[in-house]
Order: sequence, then C-alpha cells, then structure tokens
Amino acid sequence: MADVTTGEQIVFWILAPVALGGAIGMVAARNAVHSALFLVCTMLSLGVFYVVQAGAFIGVVQVIVYTGAIMMLFLFVLMLVGRDASDSLIEVLRGQRMAAIVLGIGFAGLTATGLARGLGEVETEGLEAVNAVGNVPAIAAELFTHYVFAFEITSALLITAALGAMVLAHIERRKGERLTQRERSRARFAPGNYPAPKAGPGVFATSDSVATPALLPDRTIAERSLTDVVRIRELTAAEARPKGTDRR
Amino acid sequence: MEELHLPPIDYAAIAPLLLVFGAGCVGVLVEAFVPRAWRYRVQVPLLLAGLVAALIALISVADKRVSTAGGALAIDGPALFLQGGLVALGIVSVLLIAERRVERGGAFVAQASVVAGTDSDRRQSSQPGATEVYPLTAFALGGMMLFCAANDLVTMFVALEVFSLPLYLLCALARRRRLLSQEASVKYFLLGAFSSAFFLYGVALLYGFAGTMSFTGLREAAAEAGSEDTLLFLGIAMLSVGLLFKAAMVPFHVWTPDVYQGAPTPVTGMMAACTKLAAFGGILRVFTVGFADINLDWEPILIAVAIATMLVGAVMAVTQTDIKRLLAYSSIANAGYVFTGVLALSEEGVAGTMFYLVAYGFTVLAAFAVVTLVRDADGEATHLSRWAGLGRRSPLFAGLFTVLMLAFAGIPLTSGFTSKFAVFSAALGADQVTLVIVGLISSAVLAFPYLRVVVLMYLSEPAEDTPTVSLPGVFTSLALVIGLVATIGLGVVPGPVLELAEQASSFIG
Amino acid sequence: MSLSPYVPIAGMFILAIVFAVFSVAVAPLLGPRRYNRAKLEAYECGIEPSPQPVSGGRFPVKFYLTAMLFIIFDVEIIFLYPWAVSFDALGTFGFVEMLLFIATVFIAYAYVWRRGGLDWD
Repeated sequence: MADVTTGEQIVFWILAPVALGGAIGMVAARNAVHSALFLVCTMLSLGVFYVVQAGAFIGVVQVIVYTGAIMMLFLFVLMLVGRDASDSLIEVLRGQRMAAIVLGIGFAGLTATGLARGLGEVETEGLEAVNAVGNVPAIAAELFTHYVFAFEITSALLITAALGAMVLAHIERRKGERLTQRERSRARFAPGNYPAPKAGPGVFATSDSVATPALLPDRTIAERSLTDVVRIRELTAAEARPKGTDRR
Repeated sequence: MEELHLPPIDYAAIAPLLLVFGAGCVGVLVEAFVPRAWRYRVQVPLLLAGLVAALIALISVADKRVSTAGGALAIDGPALFLQGGLVALGIVSVLLIAERRVERGGAFVAQASVVAGTDSDRRQSSQPGATEVYPLTAFALGGMMLFCAANDLVTMFVALEVFSLPLYLLCALARRRRLLSQEASVKYFLLGAFSSAFFLYGVALLYGFAGTMSFTGLREAAAEAGSEDTLLFLGIAMLSVGLLFKAAMVPFHVWTPDVYQGAPTPVTGMMAACTKLAAFGGILRVFTVGFADINLDWEPILIAVAIATMLVGAVMAVTQTDIKRLLAYSSIANAGYVFTGVLALSEEGVAGTMFYLVAYGFTVLAAFAVVTLVRDADGEATHLSRWAGLGRRSPLFAGLFTVLMLAFAGIPLTSGFTSKFAVFSAALGADQVTLVIVGLISSAVLAFPYLRVVVLMYLSEPAEDTPTVSLPGVFTSLALVIGLVATIGLGVVPGPVLELAEQASSFIG
Repeated sequence: MSLSPYVPIAGMFILAIVFAVFSVAVAPLLGPRRYNRAKLEAYECGIEPSPQPVSGGRFPVKFYLTAMLFIIFDVEIIFLYPWAVSFDALGTFGFVEMLLFIATVFIAYAYVWRRGGLDWD
C-alpha cells in the first residue's frame, strides 16, 4: 500500500461512516425529503474524499453539480410528488422487495470482495506524475486535447436535456391564451370588479389577523373583508384579554 | 506551463458525424426562430438533407482508415459501414416519423406537457405534432454514429448518453395512449440510467486496470494480464451489462416489450433498427478490438447469454397477443442471432454481423411501417385478434406483411435467410457449433408466431370491426418500398453488400 | 498529497459547528420562557395557520423546468473551470473550442428563451 497520511486516515474514518450511514438512511427513510437530505450528506462526504485523494477537480464537481444542482432537482421532483408521500408498502410483485435486498447484498458482496482481491496488493502509481502540473490543469490538458470531440459532443447532450425539459414540463401558451398587461388592467377596472385592496381590520378591530373580519364604524362586519379562503374566527373572551406576557 | 496543442483532426473523416449533429443543432434553431406553421415544412427537408449529405460524405470517405481527434475516433471499415447503415436506416426512420397523412398531425403529441386525459389534452388531439422530434432524432442518430466510431471508453460513454437521452424523450411523445407511452419512457429511462451506471463502473475499473481509456491500450494491457486479474474481469462484466442492455439481450431485455409497445411506432421502428445496430457496433469494437487477445474466460458467459437470448426471445414471442410486443420479442431473439456473429470473433463474423444488422433493420422498419397503417377509431389496432381476416380486406398490405414475416422467419430469397446464413456460417467457422444449433432451434420456434400472424390474416373471416388499413402517405409508402426492396434485394442478390461488409470488416488499432 | 492547505478549512468547519451547537444549546438555558398559545403557533403572516393538504402540497412543474435549466448551465460552467485555469497553456485553439461549446449550448438557451421557458407565468 502506498503511504496514507494521518490526516487522510482521520478524514476517512470520520467521513466513511457518515457517507455509508447517509446511503443506508437514504434507502431506509420513509419520508422522501429525509431521503434527499441523507443523499446530500453522502454526496458531500464523497466530495471531501475526492479532494483528500488528490482529485481536487472531481471534488469541486461533486459539490457544485451533485450536491448543488442535482440535489436541487431531486428536491423539486420530491415536491412535485408531494413531500409527505411515502413509499407504498404494497408489493406489486410478491417477494420483490426481499429478492431485491438479497440480490443487492449479494452483488455488493461480490463486487466488494472482487475489488478487495483486485486492489489489495496494488501499489498506487503515477498519481504524482499526473498531478505534477496541478490537478485541474492536468484535467484541462486531457479534456481539451485527447477528449476534445467528446467534450464538444457533450453540448449536444445539454441541448437534448434542455429540449427534454421544455417538451415534458413546459406548457406553451399561444398568443391570446395569455393575458397581456393591458387586458389585466381592463379586467381590473371592469364593472363588477372592485379594483382597490380589500378593507383592512380597521381601528376598532381587536386583532390584526386576516382571519378576523373588519368592522365598520357602526360595528357591523365589513362584507368585503371576508374571504372564501380563510374561515372567520371570533376571538374567545380568554384570547381577547390582555395576555400578561410582558414583564411587568 | 508548457504549451498544449490540438491533436490533428481529419475533418473529412468525421464530416458525416458533424453533418448529422449540425442538422440537429440547426433543427433546434428552427424550433426557436421559425413560426409554428412553417416548422414541419422546414424540419423534415432539413433533417433528410442532413442525412443524405452525411451519406454522400460517407461514400466519399469510404476508403479512409484513420484514427483521428487524438485517437478518440476510429474511422475504419466497420465504423464507416455501420455509420452508412445507420444513416440509411435513419432516413427510413425519419420518413416514418415525418408521416402526417395516416393520422392527422402525425404519430406525436402536440404538447407532451399537457396532462393526459384532461380537456386541454382532448383539445390538442387534432393539432399537428411536436416538431422537436426531428432535432431529437438527429441527435440520436449522431450519437449512434459516434458510438460505432468511438475508440476510447470516454467517447463511447458520451456517445451512449447522446443517443440514449433523445430516445427516452421520443418514447414519451406518442399521440395516442399517452400514459402507456410515458410509462414506457420512464421504464426505459430508469433502467437505461441504471445500465449506464454499470457501464461507467466498468469503465472506471478498466481504467484502474489498464491506466488508459483507449481500446488499443486496453488490449495491450489485457494481453499481458493473467487470467486472474479481478479488475479486468469485473470491468468487462460491468461494461458488458451496459452494452447488452442497449442491445436488449437476455437477461437485460425486460424493458424491451414494454418500451416497444408504448413508444410511438415510428420510434419503435427506429429503436429496433438503429439502436440495435449501434449497440452491436459498440459491442463489436469492444470485444474485437479491446478484449480480443485475453484469455477467453468470459466467452462461456457470453455464449450462455446468447443462447438464453435466442431461446427466451423465441419462446416468449410465441405467447404474445400484441403485434408490437411480438416484434419486440422477435427483436430480442434476433439480437441473439447477431451475437452469434459477434462471438465468432473473426473478420467473417464481423462482416456477417454488420450485414445482418443492416438487413434486419430494413425489414423491421418496414414491418413497423405496416403496423402504423392498421388502424381503427382508437388509433393503431395492435392486438393480434384485430388482425384476423386482414388478408381479405386489404390483400396488398397483408401480402406485404407476409413477405416481411417470411423474411423474419428466414425463408430463402429474403434477407432474413442470407443474413442468418452469414452469421451462422461465421459461427461455424469459429467452431461455435452449440450456438448454431441453438440458433436453428430458436429460428424454428420463432417461425411459429410469424406464420400464426400470416395464417390469422388469411384464413380467418374478417369481423365486422376488422380495422381498415389506412392509405399510406408518401413518406410511409417510400419507407415501405425501401424496406421491401432491401428485404428482397438483400435476399436475392446479397453479393454487393456482403462484399462491402467483408471489405470493411477489419478494425484498426 | 499534503493535506495542509485544507487545515484552515477544516478549522473553519469545526468553528462553525461549535458556534451553531453553542448558540442552539445556550439559548433555551439562558432565555426566559413564557409561552402562550399565540406564541406557540406557527407564524403565517397573520393568517391562521392552515393545515397542509393531505398529499403534502405539490409544487407547480415549472420549478422543475427552472431546476433543469440551472443544471444545464451548471454543467457548462464545470467545463469552463479547467479551461479558465489552463487558459494560457491552451491558447487559441482552446479558446475556439470553448467558443464552439458555448455557442452550441447557447442554441439550447435560444430555444428555451424563444419558447417562453424563462417566463414565470
């Protein structure tokens, strides 16, 4: 094995359980938002690992693209689904969950033992040579010379992504389907619509909550202050009393 | 810091690629700046012109055998032949995609973002379909062409994603049965992303093993490795999972029937013809350039995969009641036959495989073209029971479909026979007797569902509600004629194309 | 490699964690506690806190579009980073490559803009 500095070891032994715990938590958490946050945890830990292992560039990419952008997308998707939506416990295929767990563990075991066997006695080699000019310039040198074609073609991938997002998520309004400012103004002052804001609670109000109806000077309720959305709330006598929460 | 230099790029050799990608980019600009009413009229000629120009460019560089762009691209015989096949099949696919006569507005939905089944969805049912499909098709075809020419693992992975992403999208854009189409897209996307992850893992392990991404470097490193090198074998295994998924080989085939059924039929045709061709182009290069010289410990596994693919595809095809699912399982079985050619690991095998892919592509496109024509009030009538008695209603199309089915079954004087002969004889030449025997058994089993469709069309009485066969528009007619001519032409005089494939069968590097 | 450049960052992290934990832990110990119902209620701009819908409330799909567009340009920026660092070594050809790349991604931008993907409503 190559030399591993103490710092690297400390970082590894602190963050490896965090990364692994985050991964397990992501799968195990019932609440989708919790899953997403566990995933952030794992991804950040991985980002630190990359930096520690002399891959500064991939570390930055991990944080900016994965932890930043992909997680944001992930959270938005969660919000589209509804954040309280949890996994249904009904198995469509009987025994599928069990089989998936067994096969997953089996696959992980197989890969891990294989890698352990394959990498156990391998000497690290060439890291200093590759990073001699610095990690990022070395990547630039590869990216813009040998892999220039792959790099340019990536733009096709990005165009496809934009096209796909627009096609699947953007409802295009044709001309006339969307109200212009002029039309909105006309509609606002059209007969039958009250253009001004609705009445506020007024000076006789006992509460400034929107839910309390506004009172007119004759102590009747101003109809305009009632909304369909918020239900009317009369304060109880106990609530209307001075509360005595301030220090006397 | 020392100066870096751009590696020399042979622009003539990559001109076909650039033309197709360029057509895609201009297509997106057309989407952005051309008024809605004109988009269809601009997009279709634009894409067809781009593909025809790419074909001409390919013919003009047909003798090139170079590795260019810093070794990332190998423009060699197989790459050029497969790219030519892709562009030719791509033109036929675009003809099917562009068809708007058979169904008002074409096979694609106007706005896929409108929730299926709502009022606004019903309102858009008569609007012309989205024209974004044309640039997407261009990117998919360009990605496939790149996939066949990629000479290192990074370029190959980027190409894999470039052609997969548009396909996921195209699958979701069917005009009829939109939920089924979206479900197909989600399934394809999730499983495809999963298989890409396997591919990438394999790439990482192989890089760890060899310290290089290029296939030539991999081969040199693999030739020196002992048969015990775990990294190498794990890497090959993972890489194979990604590749075999795209080629729809058992056990990575489960997505195929659902996706083929749900996707708009022209897109299904393109996937069956072009995606299969591209996937096998990649497989050929990986196994004949990358891992040809290592101890052949992985071969028994791949032989098992090929046998499973041929048998499962054929047996499952027998049980199908939907014509699109039937063709999907038949495409799985056909992937098995193609794979026997790959496993021959000889130039003869490469030539046979490439010939098979092109011949099968034309036939399957024509078959899906017929499927788009058999319609009732709800759109395409894909259930087999609805095809009963079709032979009396429209003898012409039933006859056409019969020819295609016979070609699938491998009857002599069709391309199905010559192409099967090409791959099986290559496999025999490499002493893969088991594969050939299983292939023959599988072909015999697979002939049953084909013939059942034929019998159903001719020997059943047409019911009251037997669907009519719509009169095809110019585009579909053209696609049908091309497919049929290729099917019979490659069966009667396979010589020229087979010779071309043989001349183009040696990889460089 | 040497990890010493990262020591200040690690120190900063530890400091931040200690500060956050300290603030949260100390506030309830030192502050006076006099609760009433109004104080315990969630604050929602003067309105009675309304219960969330059963599904948890869904967001309009346009947020997804925004996130997706953000990712696209985020990935573009990732490529700019090594290019900018190695700008001197890459010279003219690197500049042309990057221009080509940006121009191509700009096609996507033009499409999104013309189709109204950047409008909020």
